[in-house]
Amino acid sequence: MLSGGSRVIAQPDDRNPVAQVLRAANETMLARSLEFRSSTGASLTLDVAGRRVLRLTSCIGLPGAESCLGAEVLEDEHKDDLIKLLQAVAAPRQELRVISGPVGRGGEEVSVGLPVALLADLLLVELNETDADEPLPEEAPAEPEVFEEPSFQLSGKGIRDFAEGVGPTLIAWLVRGGDADGSTFGPEEMVSHLQGFLDDETESVVHQLDLLSARPGDPICLMLGATLIEGHSIVCARMQDSLLLGVIEGDGAPAALAAWNALLH
Amino acid sequence: MGVAESLGAVVKAFPQARLVAFADLSSRMILTSAGPMVTTQEHLDRLCNQARTCFDDPLFALSVEAFGEPHAAVVMGPSGLRLFLRSEAEPADALCCICDPGIDLPAFVAKIRETLEGITDGG
Repeated sequence: MLSGGSRVIAQPDDRNPVAQVLRAANETMLARSLEFRSSTGASLTLDVAGRRVLRLTSCIGLPGAESCLGAEVLEDEHKDDLIKLLQAVAAPRQELRVISGPVGRGGEEVSVGLPVALLADLLLVELNETDADEPLPEEAPAEPEVFEEPSFQLSGKGIRDFAEGVGPTLIAWLVRGGDADGSTFGPEEMVSHLQGFLDDETESVVHQLDLLSARPGDPICLMLGATLIEGHSIVCARMQDSLLLGVIEGDGAPAALAAWNALLH
Repeated sequence: MGVAESLGAVVKAFPQARLVAFADLSSRMILTSAGPMVTTQEHLDRLCNQARTCFDDPLFALSVEAFGEPHAAVVMGPSGLRLFLRSEAEPADALCCICDPGIDLPAFVAKIRETLEGITDGG
């Protein structure tokens, strides 16, 4: 049902599917190939970068694509034909999917092509989501929320406070770095195993945490387990220059979450 | 119930879930998502990559060695939390969620586990 790695951008009840096509193109700052597939079987593939449509690389089941397909770079003279193709692939009452992939060629050059904003103006499309595009909601929608992590403030508590805040479900832990460097708790064999692991892997663990952080070095806590709500889980937390590695038994995730929130507020 | 409807039902049941997305970890792609959070393709790509990072070494290897293969991960940052759940039957299938810190974690994990199994079984 979801084979091919596609993302649904418009459902059959979408009031303005062509707006979803333009929004998908407008989201893309880095060079990408976007293939739009309609449930009618028609599809078209665009190279996009920097909120511009660079070229049409493929078109299936839609007439009138010759001039755009023949263009190395789309220019003003192609915009009317391209708009007709966009409207055709975004046919109403159909499901529309997008598949993102690496761009074919020349994607790093973003000063060419047709700006998505221009196409949106010509199609009278608002690139920001509007209520008019959505199926009628059952209730008034909440304000949309942004993805980015906001700034934060530390409470002044340290990583040891986090360990103590989690409570008895944190059955073994140790700290490397910072004021609590060398602190341990729990059965000797468990602590020894965690120590041996960090002796070999501290740098890799820090790198793994950085990949999960908005910025390298930010406070971060990862819990990893079979279910998180039973059995055992690994917990690894970084706060400033301290790194805690521990083992949680049973349903310790809510306690860990509460203890973590206490560190930051 | 389709995938989009399943994810929508999760968001409806848990208003503190700001984004629930179904991902194919093998192709590094979010396939569909629900929730009030505004995201771009780059945000979704990043979320999918974070899911892969959670289930990667070195901490993945430590967990496997100690307790067996992990299928759930919670990442707590400066605000909010991200929760990643992999299907046991199809490990490439995953749900990636961004939630407010006050969410009822055990209830939410149980709900998205049930949702993911339904999606995988229906796929």
